[in-house]
Amino acid sequence: MTLKMRSILSILILPVLLAPLLLRAQAPPQLPPGGLIQLQVAQPTVDISSSVTATAEFDPPVVRPGETTFYRVKVDATESAIQWPDKISAPAELQFGAMAHGQLTEYLGNQFRPHTEIIYEMRPAAAGHFLITNFSVPTSGGPVEIPAANLDVVAGNSDLPPARRLMLDISATNVFLGQPFRVRVLLPAGPGNQIEALREIQLDGDGLMTDKTALRQSIEVVNVNGQLKPAFICEMTVTPIAAGPLTFSAQGFTAGREFSGPISIHGQVTISGGPPKYVLLVSKPVEINVRPLPAESELPGFTGAIGNFFCDPPQLATNRLHVGEPARLKITFHGEGDLTRLVPPNPPRDPDWQVIADNPPATGFTLIPLTDEVHETPAIPFSYFDPATAKYVDLTIPPLPVTVVSEGLPVQLSVAEAETESAAPTKLSGLAPTPGKTVASLKPLQTRGWFVGMQLVPVIGFFALWQWDRRRRFLEAHPEIVRRRQARRALRRERRELEKAGAAGDATAFVRHAADAMRIAVAPHFPAHPQALVCGDVLAQLDTADQNAQAGETVRKIFASADARFALTPPMPADLLALQSAVETVLEKLEEKL
Amino acid sequence: MSHLRFTIYDLRIRRRLGCGIAFAALFFAAGICHAATANDLFTQGVELNRAGQFPEAAAAFEKSAQRQPASGTLVNLGIAEWQRGHAGAAILAWEQARWIDPFDERAAQNLKFARQMAQLDEPKLKWFETASTWLPPDAWVWLAGASLWLTVGILTLPQFFRWRKAGWQQALAAAALGIFLASMTANVGVLSRTNLGFVVKKNATLKLTPTLEGEIISTLAAGEPARQLRVRGNYFFIRTENESGWIERDAFGLVAK
Repeated sequence: MTLKMRSILSILILPVLLAPLLLRAQAPPQLPPGGLIQLQVAQPTVDISSSVTATAEFDPPVVRPGETTFYRVKVDATESAIQWPDKISAPAELQFGAMAHGQLTEYLGNQFRPHTEIIYEMRPAAAGHFLITNFSVPTSGGPVEIPAANLDVVAGNSDLPPARRLMLDISATNVFLGQPFRVRVLLPAGPGNQIEALREIQLDGDGLMTDKTALRQSIEVVNVNGQLKPAFICEMTVTPIAAGPLTFSAQGFTAGREFSGPISIHGQVTISGGPPKYVLLVSKPVEINVRPLPAESELPGFTGAIGNFFCDPPQLATNRLHVGEPARLKITFHGEGDLTRLVPPNPPRDPDWQVIADNPPATGFTLIPLTDEVHETPAIPFSYFDPATAKYVDLTIPPLPVTVVSEGLPVQLSVAEAETESAAPTKLSGLAPTPGKTVASLKPLQTRGWFVGMQLVPVIGFFALWQWDRRRRFLEAHPEIVRRRQARRALRRERRELEKAGAAGDATAFVRHAADAMRIAVAPHFPAHPQALVCGDVLAQLDTADQNAQAGETVRKIFASADARFALTPPMPADLLALQSAVETVLEKLEEKL
Repeated sequence: MSHLRFTIYDLRIRRRLGCGIAFAALFFAAGICHAATANDLFTQGVELNRAGQFPEAAAAFEKSAQRQPASGTLVNLGIAEWQRGHAGAAILAWEQARWIDPFDERAAQNLKFARQMAQLDEPKLKWFETASTWLPPDAWVWLAGASLWLTVGILTLPQFFRWRKAGWQQALAAAALGIFLASMTANVGVLSRTNLGFVVKKNATLKLTPTLEGEIISTLAAGEPARQLRVRGNYFFIRTENESGWIERDAFGLVAK
């Protein structure tokens, strides 16, 4: 390779090698600051940069003693930005009452301006001129000066207009926990019967849940202190969520002709023109009594429905189903309660059915049978509480008759399968014609108690045999025990005969049995046959003292009389029967030695 | 007087005898009635099955088997269950039929057919469990009892009654002892097989814990064999060939229940 060729190659290769150093990764398009915001729909901003201003006044500024006036402070800032003091210095005659505060944003064409209003209800008791001096309140944009406000309390002036208030009208004052009731907030027409709208309406009080989704606005003529006046009415549904006495009031800003949402107007009304004047108004507080639901009588399927409901007969899409096939169960509820808030019944747990509830507020169900053994749909427990009767009412959806069929399994292999699997049977057997072999139970005998207990019978038998054999061997080794036992048995027999002879007065038999009894009683001691024994043998078994005493004499007399029977003319002394007790004594002594 | 006493005594004896006979007759009649009802249900089940009313036929066979378990009834119950699509219940019924009568050809044929169709394995038995399948379970225990007491009797009675010992007695005792020992292994097998069961529900879930919301380990096919190890509430703890877990009571059936 020549030097020229090398230089040419170097010129060609060098740019290729240096190319990665010169190349830069493709950068994403850079947006200007705030470009993402520009991509979004332009929204008016909230004005928080302007200087915060405040006003303070009494509304109305002139009242009679005992009448209500409101100390009203307006600040052009958000409510959260103001650190309002807990206490405001004021003359002793002015006692601060209930406080209310609220916030709204005013639309100024290109931006929103926040307004916060704080009001105190006051009822001066004495006439005079009162002044609440200016004071400073810290805000997030710096301290703001609240100007001074003057109040004149004059006596005897009957032309003074009263302070403007909202009115609160509630449909029930004695309700159950969770029972929705209607609340109407009324703003009577102002001077010249001019109607104003209300904004930022809210209820002040604990234990209440306000449903503003069902807000209804209207203008109607109402009775205000015995005078018919048109009024702006805002109606909402309120649900108590705490039991006991509850106190609440309403507040809202007057908003001129800024009506939001649909409104129904009845009668002739005058709506003021010009820009709205936002004034925070409050109502007098009202008290309701909330009772808890009786838990002890709650019925199954209670989901919190309170009112008066009824249900159309349930409609099942079909009454012939296959296992696993879904069917729609349509249930329609009607009633006087709040149906929009009705929680439908919970699907029951049933091993034979899969029950799927429709998404609320729909109240239907999808039922899927899991077996062909069911003949009716499951009952769906449901109940509601009727506040009129203060009782739960059962509204259980009853079961509906259905026929459920299942898909059977093949009872025979296909021809192709039968050819490949020649070893296995190709079809099910036929039905057994007879029940066949029977058993009492499928539980094996080994696990049954009676069978185990029955094994004790031969055990007891063999044990008894062993005991018998053992006793027999013992007696064989000790024959004197047998002889004594036999002697005792024979002695008892002879004594019975002896007693009979004594009772019958048969002296001959008495003597014979007495002698035999004595022989039997002493025979085991020798051992010898009883008939082989004589008087001396019997006497030998008596104690030495007894041999010479009455016992020995009795034995001698008995044996003498018994031996006399061998004489040609046996004498029979009559007094032998008198020895009966003595003989018994002798026999008892002899028996003791057996 | 003694004649009168005898008459009263005689009357009492007769009355007691009469009560005993009546009670025995009642007991016997109840047994016959029980069997007759089971037979009636069996016949009803056969007719329903032939008419194609398989759920009703299965119900009749099941009632009959509950009153008097019989191999033929269980075979027919299995056929009815199979024809209504319940493979697990069918396999369990045929296994129960073979438990009662290991020589039942219908049950054996149907089990082979069902397992081939459902692609299921037979339960794996240990050697002594396999031995226990050669005879009905009750036969093994009677055989063990008889051979044991025969051995004991032959060895002890000649001593008690002082009979002369003979060679045939020794041989008989040795044979009986051998039978007893052999049957004991089969009896152990029978006891071991009492915890054998089958999944009766399609796609039954095997759970990690015995609770309604328990984590599901796997689903079991109907007819799959398993062994029950523990019971807790409404659940059995079972071990299949590959895994263990809790299954609901109504999804699992024991052969010897």
